[in-house]
Amino acid sequence: MFLLNLTPGQFLGLLAGGAALVLALYLLDRSRRRLVVATLRFWTAAREAPQARRRRRIQQWPSLLLQLAGLALLLAALGGLHWGSRGPAARDHVLILETSAWMAARTAQGTLMEQARALARSCVRALPARDRVMLVRADALATPATAFENDRAILERAIADSAPSATALRLQQALALAARTQRWRGGSPGEILFVGSGRVLAEESEDAFAPPANLRVITAGGPLENCGLRRIGLERSVRDPGQWNIFVVARNYGTAPQRRRIRLEFGGAPVGSEEFHLAPGAEQSLAFRLRTQAAGWLTARLEGRDALAADDEATLELPALRLLRVLVYSRQPELLRPLLAANPWVRAEYRSPAQYQPDAAADLVLVDGFRPPAPPRGPALWIEPPAAGSPVPVAGRARAGEPVRWRPDHPVTEGLGARDLRLEGADVYSPSAGDAVVAEVEQGPVVVARSGPPKVAVLGFHPGRSRMRYELAAPLLVANILRWIEPEVFRRWEAHAQSAGSVSAELPEGAQERVRVLTEDGRAVPFTQGERGVRFFWAEPGLIRVFAGAGEMVYSLSLPQVAEAQWTPPAAVRRGLPPAAAAETRAADLSPWLALGGALCILVEWLLYGASGLRVAGRGGLRWARLGLLSRGAAGAGGRGR
Amino acid sequence: MSEQPFVDQKFLEKLERLALRWQRSFPGLVGGHNPSRYPGFGLEFLDHRHFHHGDDLRAVNWRAYLRFEKLFLKIFRLEPHTPVRLLLDASASMATGRRPKFDYARTLAAALCYVGLVRLETILLLPFRAGLEGSCRCAGGRHRFAPVAEFLAQLRPEGRTDYLQTVRQFVSRYVDRGLAIVISDFLDEQPCEKALQHLADFGHELMLIQVWAEEDRAPPWEGRLELIDAESGARLELDFDREARERYTAAFDAHSRSLRRLALGNGGRYAGLSTAVGVEDAIFGPLAQVVGFE
Repeated sequence: MFLLNLTPGQFLGLLAGGAALVLALYLLDRSRRRLVVATLRFWTAAREAPQARRRRRIQQWPSLLLQLAGLALLLAALGGLHWGSRGPAARDHVLILETSAWMAARTAQGTLMEQARALARSCVRALPARDRVMLVRADALATPATAFENDRAILERAIADSAPSATALRLQQALALAARTQRWRGGSPGEILFVGSGRVLAEESEDAFAPPANLRVITAGGPLENCGLRRIGLERSVRDPGQWNIFVVARNYGTAPQRRRIRLEFGGAPVGSEEFHLAPGAEQSLAFRLRTQAAGWLTARLEGRDALAADDEATLELPALRLLRVLVYSRQPELLRPLLAANPWVRAEYRSPAQYQPDAAADLVLVDGFRPPAPPRGPALWIEPPAAGSPVPVAGRARAGEPVRWRPDHPVTEGLGARDLRLEGADVYSPSAGDAVVAEVEQGPVVVARSGPPKVAVLGFHPGRSRMRYELAAPLLVANILRWIEPEVFRRWEAHAQSAGSVSAELPEGAQERVRVLTEDGRAVPFTQGERGVRFFWAEPGLIRVFAGAGEMVYSLSLPQVAEAQWTPPAAVRRGLPPAAAAETRAADLSPWLALGGALCILVEWLLYGASGLRVAGRGGLRWARLGLLSRGAAGAGGRGR
Repeated sequence: MSEQPFVDQKFLEKLERLALRWQRSFPGLVGGHNPSRYPGFGLEFLDHRHFHHGDDLRAVNWRAYLRFEKLFLKIFRLEPHTPVRLLLDASASMATGRRPKFDYARTLAAALCYVGLVRLETILLLPFRAGLEGSCRCAGGRHRFAPVAEFLAQLRPEGRTDYLQTVRQFVSRYVDRGLAIVISDFLDEQPCEKALQHLADFGHELMLIQVWAEEDRAPPWEGRLELIDAESGARLELDFDREARERYTAAFDAHSRSLRRLALGNGGRYAGLSTAVGVEDAIFGPLAQVVGFE
């Protein structure tokens, strides 16, 4: 006979304390009771005879004994009294089940995950029944799936619910979590059982770490041949917006050289194919070009079969190409043609002022040096408008040779470094309250931008005339104005297909400000920003958008993160399934019966002697009769049951 | 103390058929429904006699005068008004017990007053503690019951009892003899028998109604008790057990027997009522038998 939860000393101490408390309460309860009565005449008469009577402190022994017995029984139930011999102490094990992306690899005996589940179940069954086990699922994150459980059914359900994720195994992190959990748990720590393939990232395999001394490794599967896509990148050609530059990176994870062919399809139609040879552990980058202005799905597929099918195919969505349509009304279009032709994102159409229509279909209307009968209804760029028809009132004329000062805080002046630019003459404007001055001379503003809507920019000089036509500032100024008016057209766009987990995004020059990382449904993703880029972690497959300045990068985290290296445990680490536990001598748990007995004692005491402070001795017979009735009722119910 | 009405209409309707009865004949005033052998003013014809100078001309039988040319005077049966006085104990001892005796006692008093009102009696309701308190006169029929009920409802059990002082005030204030109904627990530090005997000696007919709570007769407690007298505040400590309880009950019963003996020995009546018995059951049961409702 032994107590599971208490030592005999603790039990006796608690019993003594409880008994003292019960006795004190009992004596207090039965000490002098104060009563208000109608008269003391008859009480005095009642007291006269037994004056020499011995004073009894404890008058209801059965009541006290019942209370003490109830206390002792309940305490024994809490202490977990068992009948039989006590076996060795129960231990706390941590079972780490690998759920990395690599566990989806298929072998002749099924997937690695299926093998690992079977091994984990065997582990759990081999451990002694009294031992408690915590299941931890390990991929890029180590996540406890259960608490320390005795119930094998709960553990087996958690094992069955484990599935491969999209990230690679972080073994050190999982082992550290297991060791820390055992330390915090106290008691008798058991083994840390690792069940999985043991494939880790390259940096983890290079980092020699000392595994815990109580680690046992049960390896699922063996060396497998696999070649997969690691990354796909897409961006528009800077010179030719209609052309996509595509970069594909593939890797051979196996031990044998591979000859594979990669095929690209756009909207289901083949657009590229290339065969390549990969040595074991080698990576290959392949470049493709695709000319299209339409939106669609680009699929990269590795031909042939290998262990892991999930990394053989990746798909990216391409947006349609959008060019800025500019309608130019000018008497001298030859001056403007070089300025607009320098920008490949602009499709310009030139018309004479006589053909002017205020509601012509265009993203931008350029009005050069004349007064239209009605101003354009959409965004417009005015160049030297006549004073009578200028959208911004003309205040005068600047002198020739005046130096121009650019306002550096406006998007239109981004990258303009023409500090010594001197104008041969320009209109000076008198801007209203909502107008922004972009450039000015001593006499006043010569370039004014109005945020609108619609957005309007007014130049007090012609950028294609005089000496300015030879300056780099002229096409840059026009390009900046067009970018300011329609920023969406000029937004730089990249797409990458890669694995979930930790992602590093390189930012373009000058785009370190206003960085946002969002999921597909607009939720913010936490990130860290370095000098050249941002890093964020996303463990689930999905679409993540990185906005930085005028650029947007789309990360399609659809490829699994496949670890490159195989971890080899040190020789001292135990391997294989734990030995099956010997048959245990089972001890009978008396706690429920003891609790029932304690409750019965308290119930009987309450029925006989009352629960309230008023103990009516005259009703003792009634209480005994009530108890008898209850007993008879229970016996009758038992008899009927039989 | 309960603020609920202590008598309801249904109970009062049941009381309609009862009447107060007394055993002695008292010289009294006109009024009431009890027959008397005395001639006097009344409604019921008794006899004729010759007219004498100074007689009331309104009582002359003018028909007989027309016939015999002599004046005859009609004599009527006197309907005496026997004074009925109800002494109600309103001391603090009446508030003890799990079912307060005072509620029980004033319900009884209300019932007796209603019976008297129905029979056109005049009852003087006299609460007492250390002496007589303010009285309430009940007369004029059943429709005058509401003031009586209000008077009883505002009474509170408090203070000490002094039977001797109460009786002394009573006999000096009410010299005409009558029926004295005393509703009390008769539990005083000093024996009350002497005072009650004094009351009977002055010619009053005693009707003693002793009200007790079950705890007053057989205390249910056991063990170490500290007892506090509800009226005097005196304290007493004792070990109380079954044997002591038997001695206590015997002493209480002896006290009740003494009261009964005193009442019957002076031509009066006695009823002992436990609050465990309902008021209605008590009135139509033991009280009707012992007190003698008609």
